Amino acid sequence: MVSELSPTPGARSVRADTEGPKPPLPVKMVIAGGFGVGKTTTVGAISEIEPLTTEASITSVAAGVDDLTHTPEKMTTTVAMDFGCVTLDPTLKLYLFGTPGQERFGFMWDDLVEGALGGLVIVDTRRLDDCYAAVDYFEHREIPFAVAVNAFDGKVEHDLDDVRWALDVADHVPLTVFDARERGSVRDALLVVLEHALATAER
Amino acid sequence: MTAGEPSATDDAGWGVEPPASVVRPFLLTAGRIAGGDSLVPPIPIETQVVATDLGLAALDAFVFEQHRDIITLCRQPQSLAEIAAKLRMHLNVIRVLADDLRADGQLALYAPQADSARDATVLRRVIDGLRAIPDSRGAIREG
Repeated sequence: MVSELSPTPGARSVRADTEGPKPPLPVKMVIAGGFGVGKTTTVGAISEIEPLTTEASITSVAAGVDDLTHTPEKMTTTVAMDFGCVTLDPTLKLYLFGTPGQERFGFMWDDLVEGALGGLVIVDTRRLDDCYAAVDYFEHREIPFAVAVNAFDGKVEHDLDDVRWALDVADHVPLTVFDARERGSVRDALLVVLEHALATAER
Repeated sequence: MTAGEPSATDDAGWGVEPPASVVRPFLLTAGRIAGGDSLVPPIPIETQVVATDLGLAALDAFVFEQHRDIITLCRQPQSLAEIAAKLRMHLNVIRVLADDLRADGQLALYAPQADSARDATVLRRVIDGLRAIPDSRGAIREG
């Protein structure tokens, strides 16, 4: 059996034969969005380490968008995934995983996303289409998420009401604008997700 | 995206190949895989891994360098994802190898509680921890 960490510090269940340093409780959030939208920039802006890259397997569903006569073919694909982390205190460590994103495919990130506190879907308003897959995924999996418009060069091409309308996200999904290069801005965008997750958990 | 580019580029995407090991990874796992279509739920990628005294004592006795590398790295707690990234091995290979070493008592694995993502206590702790992070100018977020 793999030991489980209790959310309460000092009360974790530890195997009797365990020695060595006590690890923090690991929690994770997922940073999603289309290709080149700023996922790794976002992770890097707040991570205490340079973002690392690991190979992981995901199930991809070939998007036969123009041909509905075929059942989408599922394949297991190896992708490179960037991530970083923030030690919030000695007993709590937040991991941020950037989902591998490719617009032409539907992805099943279950293996990576299982147990995530929430998701941040990053949007480039010049390429709104690129984030549909991520929005659909989080909605379908009922993972709390927020949509964050990355204000490239401080400019947003559309106002947030237009973005909400275009993405067709539910009213309860928070929508915010942030700058992926600024630590404080990334922190605040993550807080929007977490406060939404907390409200959801307490409902 | 060109092969061999450093890790910090955005959306590293497909087909980035780590340097080949002398021992092929799935030979080391005897063909076993984790995740994907496996029936066993995969160990969460953020699971913390720590070497035990037993593991550290066995450091010189490992046949495969990959086992030794994992134990050495896990003198300090690491996530499965960090181990995979630092050793440049596939996450699912690390899952199998770490679980083998755990079964031998050489590693301790600490998975987050399954329901911690919906636990208001955990969420509040993360929120409080994040709020204490200064922005680039050193100011602390109000509220």
